[in-house]
This record gives sequence, structure tokens and C-alpha cells, in this order.
Amino acid sequence: MKRRLILLLTSLIAGTGVLSACGRGDQTAAGPVDLKGGVPVGAVLALSGNANVYGQDQRVGLNLALAALNGSGGINGTPLRLAIEDSGSDDPGANAAMTLQINRGMLAVIGPTLSQQAFAADPIAQRRGLPVVAPSNTATGIPEIGHFISRVSASSGVIAPLSIAKALQLQPGIKRAAVFFAQDDAYSTAETAVFQKALADKGLRPVTVQRTNLADNDFQSQISATLALKPDLIVLSLQGVDGGNMVRQLRELGYKGTIVVGNGMNTPNIYPICQKYCDGILIAQAYSPELATPANRAFVQAFTRAQAAAGKGPLIPPQLTAQAYTALQVVGQALQRLDQRTPLKGLSVAAARKALMDEILGGTYQTPLGEIRFTPEGEVIQKDFFVAQVRMNPDGRSGRFALLQ
Amino acid sequence: MAAAVASHCCSERWAVSDLIQLLLNGLSTGAVYALFALGYTLVFSVLGVINFAHGAVFTLGAYFTFLLIGGAVGANGLLAGFQLPFALPFWLALLLAGVGAAAVALLIERTAFRPLRERGADPLLALITSLGAGVVLVNLIQLLVGAESYAIPTTALAGLPAAIRLFGAQVRTVQLVLLGVATVLLVALSLWIDGSRSGKALRAVAEDATTAQLLGIPSGRMIQIAFGLSGFLAGIAGGLVGLSVSIAGPYFGIGYGLKGLGVLVLGGLGSVPGAVLGGLIIGLAEACVPAELSGYRDVVAYGFLFVVLLLRPQGLLGKVLPTKV
Repeated sequence: MKRRLILLLTSLIAGTGVLSACGRGDQTAAGPVDLKGGVPVGAVLALSGNANVYGQDQRVGLNLALAALNGSGGINGTPLRLAIEDSGSDDPGANAAMTLQINRGMLAVIGPTLSQQAFAADPIAQRRGLPVVAPSNTATGIPEIGHFISRVSASSGVIAPLSIAKALQLQPGIKRAAVFFAQDDAYSTAETAVFQKALADKGLRPVTVQRTNLADNDFQSQISATLALKPDLIVLSLQGVDGGNMVRQLRELGYKGTIVVGNGMNTPNIYPICQKYCDGILIAQAYSPELATPANRAFVQAFTRAQAAAGKGPLIPPQLTAQAYTALQVVGQALQRLDQRTPLKGLSVAAARKALMDEILGGTYQTPLGEIRFTPEGEVIQKDFFVAQVRMNPDGRSGRFALLQ
Repeated sequence: MAAAVASHCCSERWAVSDLIQLLLNGLSTGAVYALFALGYTLVFSVLGVINFAHGAVFTLGAYFTFLLIGGAVGANGLLAGFQLPFALPFWLALLLAGVGAAAVALLIERTAFRPLRERGADPLLALITSLGAGVVLVNLIQLLVGAESYAIPTTALAGLPAAIRLFGAQVRTVQLVLLGVATVLLVALSLWIDGSRSGKALRAVAEDATTAQLLGIPSGRMIQIAFGLSGFLAGIAGGLVGLSVSIAGPYFGIGYGLKGLGVLVLGGLGSVPGAVLGGLIIGLAEACVPAELSGYRDVVAYGFLFVVLLLRPQGLLGKVLPTKV
């Protein structure tokens, strides 16, 4: 009897704890903005799991933007306080990290890294009224999740067709296209639809559409079957690791035609995987290190300086780093405008979040990506896009995305 | 889907080259699964539990190989930029990576298994401690060398072409190398277990550790040998897979670990020939999936496992243990 009573009491205490934890977020939203230590902004990045290479590129960009913002006075004299949470590379991790940031009273969150995670975690932010600026989600339907969701990463619907057009411009005789995509990834499935429509618009019907999984890395069977159909263009909507392996195995098995890849491979982290076989692949980009604007020059300089200080050599900033930098720059500048108009000190968290979202959507920003604005739905409006071709160095381990005119 | 797979593998329209292509694809994949499952099997046969840290040891083998051939650590770990002052030829590096992985496996035995065994704890508890050891190892790798991908240079197999044509089938050379090395290791291990004194001692411990101990066989030593061999096989497999498809970060052993478990169960828990047979069957079953349905090949592999277990719960070559009363 006594044991039962103890069990009942323990359950009651635990239940009360859980309920109070669930309700804490809403209490935070009703309370004042906590400016101790700075203006609170969060990030949800994939720093572990199979997408961690993207998150690590993004963390570099966020830290550079943080240094730039706080180096120039922060939010009207108050430093910006950035709290980065690791979402892992899956949906539950993103949900947990997003919820944590909401309950901590963050005024905005940058992330999550993957579109797949955004579809899981962004609805939570939307329900709780937290502004989200996505630095790398390109799948169709991200800003449509709700008013509080925006992105600085242009939709694959805008970018992806550019690389198909460039491939056909460079090789007008292309007649037989083959398509690969990762069926278990929201970004890949969204992007392949865009690629396939772009091919259809050019009068090309794929000779085969092959489905893979993100965790796959041995594609010998699929490649054998595909090469038997003699394609002269192969279009990949894969992430960095599986995509890099696919490129390498395609070339090793004798494919000599054009390869167009999607945004998932828009990172120098593919170089060690496909090595010398990366050479020549075509990719459309939302960022070029060669863009000659003051904002981009400042970003490239800061990046190179930071890399040199860390003993990491003169690297070229990847797109993910530039987009993450841009996302925090957007949030920082929107916070500056909001604070000038209505001091954050007197606002509740909920009111500050709502007003901040309006500021984010209302601004025009000079960023490393060029000038950007937002549609009322939160979709980025960007003027400058690029198509690059990977040029590998003779060592076969390093290279660069060379801009094609 | 089953019909598609069956018709794909049994089609009369197959040319010999197609069949060879399918066989080589399946066997090279299956050989890796078999190597992996053998590591599980060796430990399971002597302790009756699965070593969940095996995938992490496999991963370590790949990283050891990468470092020993002169690879440099990337930008994101505590050891950013680190590079050994020498660069070994690939084959020597692979061998030493196997030895290194064996040493780590012994350490796992010492820290995650032996203390529980000595205190007479339920063997199932070792599942959890080994899982913990695996998680610690994977996170340690990430902490030290970052999470980026590494690749063993394509020049590691110096002098060999990237692919060769065999009876009309185009095969990556590295796949053939993988198949060859795995076959040699599997045969050597089988010969050792069946023909050597220590191999027989291992089998005796697997049969009944207490009786073996009473007969003068040092059970503790044989358990260490099982762990060492298991680690060695995992290390070699990791290095070879790293050569074939790159090292996709600290987590890349997880997928192989799950598949290895499937192979272990399919072949029969604790059965060495079963692990080999299970690996080859799963590899061939995956290769039989038509290319357009390749995204679902795990469904075929695990579906096959499911059906076999319904019909033969002890696995293909496993023994039905009598119920003790």
C-alpha cells in the first residue's frame, strides 16, 4: 500500500513537472525580453549526424556575422547574444532544438539546416509565434508554412533550372538525360521535380529516373543499369556525401557526359569524396565569392582572416556559410530598426517576436548574396544567381566552384 | 515488389554480362556484410551478446587507414590540420588499421564487457554498455577529427585502373579488391577456427565456457581473442569500405552495423558459416532489385530476413538450443 502511495505521488510530481515545462514557453512569451548578456537570438543547426558538414559551414557564417554585428555596436549598443543548438540531422532533433529555443525566449531562430527538418520544426515555431529565417532550406513550400517562416535561401524552383540551361548551352547536342534523386529527403524530392520540369521545358524526357536513399553510398547496380541507356546528361538531386560518391562511381564506371548537380552538393565538402572526378560538374548557385559588392568583399575578407587565424588556410567561403551570415545579418538589422522604433526593453517576448517578423519582411538588405528583400510570405527576392563548374586542383583533393559567364 | 525482384533476377532476357554484373555487384556488397557480421558472430559465440560498439570499431578502422596513408585531418576537429609525419602504402596502412581496431576492440572488452562478466551481471546488460562504448567512440571521433567526410585517395590502388571489364560487365576495381580481400579473410578465419588448436578452443568456449574452463581452456583469453579478431575484421572492412565509398563522417558505420545485425540473424546467431552465407544472400538480394526500385532495396533485404525467420527462427545455419529446465 505504502509502495503504491509513493508511486502515485512520484507520478503526480513528475506529471506536474512535465505540464509546467510544457507551459513554461507561453509564460516566457508573456514576459519581458531578457536582455541580460545581450539580445537573444537562436540558431538550430545540424552539427552532428549525416548533415553535420552543412551545419559546420553554417556555424562559421553565423560566428562571422555575430562578430561583424557586435563589432559595429550590436543592437544599438546592446550586443546580440547567439545561442546555437545542435539539431542532429533528423526531425525529432530539430523539433527538440526549436522548442528549446522558443522556451528560452529567443526573439528569432536561424535554421534548421535541412528542408526535411524545417517541415517538422517550423510549424512549432509558427504556432508559438517565433520568427524563423532559414539559411539553407530550398524545398518548395517552406515560407508557406506560415507567416513567421522566411528564408534567405532561394527556392530550388528558381535556381535549379539555370544549371540545366547552362548544360544545354555548353552541349547543345544533349538528347538523353538520366535523373537521380534521394527519395527519403524533402530537398531532393522537391528539387528533382524542378529539374525534371526544366528538362521537359527543354524537350528532354529522362531516359530513367532512379531513386536512392540518403544513406546509400554504393550505386554500382543503378549506375550499370543507367549507363546501359547511354545518357549524355545526368542530373543529381542528392546531398553532399551520397552525391559525391555517385559522381565518383559514375566516372569510374566510364560515364563521360555532363553531370548537373543540385544545391545539396553546393559545398567544398564534396571535393574529398569525388576527388578528381568532381572536375567539370555543373551547379547553379545563390552565392558567388566573386560578387563585387562591398558587403561580399567585407564578408570574404572576414572569412579569409578567420580561417587564417585558425590556421586553416586561405579557403573560399562556401554558399552555406554566406547564406548563414546573411540570415543573421537580416535578423540583426531588423532588430536594430525595431529597437530604434520601439525599444526592446519595454516589450514582451511575444510582442517583440511579432514586431521583429514585420521588420524582417519589410527590409532591404545589402548582403554577401547581393541585395535581397522578402515577399510578404517570407520568400527571398534575390537578384544575383550564378552557374559554376567545379575545377579540381592537380592534387585531386581541393578545388573551387569557377563561375561560368 | 517481390514479383519485380524475382522477374528481374530470373528474366530470360539476361545476357551473360548482365548476370555477371549482378553477381559481382551482389557478391562484393555481400562480402562486406559478411565481414561485418563475422565480427558480431565471434563475440556472440563466446559471450552470447551482441557487441553494439562493433560499428564504431569499423568506423575507426576507416579513419586509421586514412591517417596512416598520410591523410590530413580537416578543419573542424580538435586535431584540425593534423597529419602523421609519414605516409604508408595503402596495404600496410590497412593492415595496421586492422591491428589498431583490434586494440580498440580489446579495450572495449576490458571496459564494457569484462567488469560486468566478473560481477556476474546479466549478459544482456552488456548490450547497453557496448552501445554506450560505441556512442562514446563515435563522438570522440567527431570531437577529434570533425564530422566532415574523408576519402582514401583513388590513387591508393596504384597502377590499377578505376574499372575493368569482365565478360562484358563493367566493374569498379575497388569492388573486386574488396571481394578478394574479404574472401581471403573469411577462408583464413574458417581454416583457423576448424583446423587450429586455438580455433578449436574458441569453439569449445562458444559451446560452454564453464566446461571449457574446467577442461583447462582459458576462457578469458579466448574471449579476448574473439574480440581482437572481431576488431581486426571490422578495421579491415572499414578501411576497404572507406576506399570504396569514402568515409562519410563518424556515423558511417551505423548503416553497416544495422545490416550486419540482419545478416547475423539471417545466418544464425553465433554461426560463422551462417554469417558468410547471410552476408552473401543479402548482398545478392539487394543486387537483384531492379535499378528503378533500388531506393527500396532495404525493404527487399529485410523482407527476406523476415520471411526466413518466420520459417526458420534460428536462422539459416543456426542451431535450435534445447530448453533447459
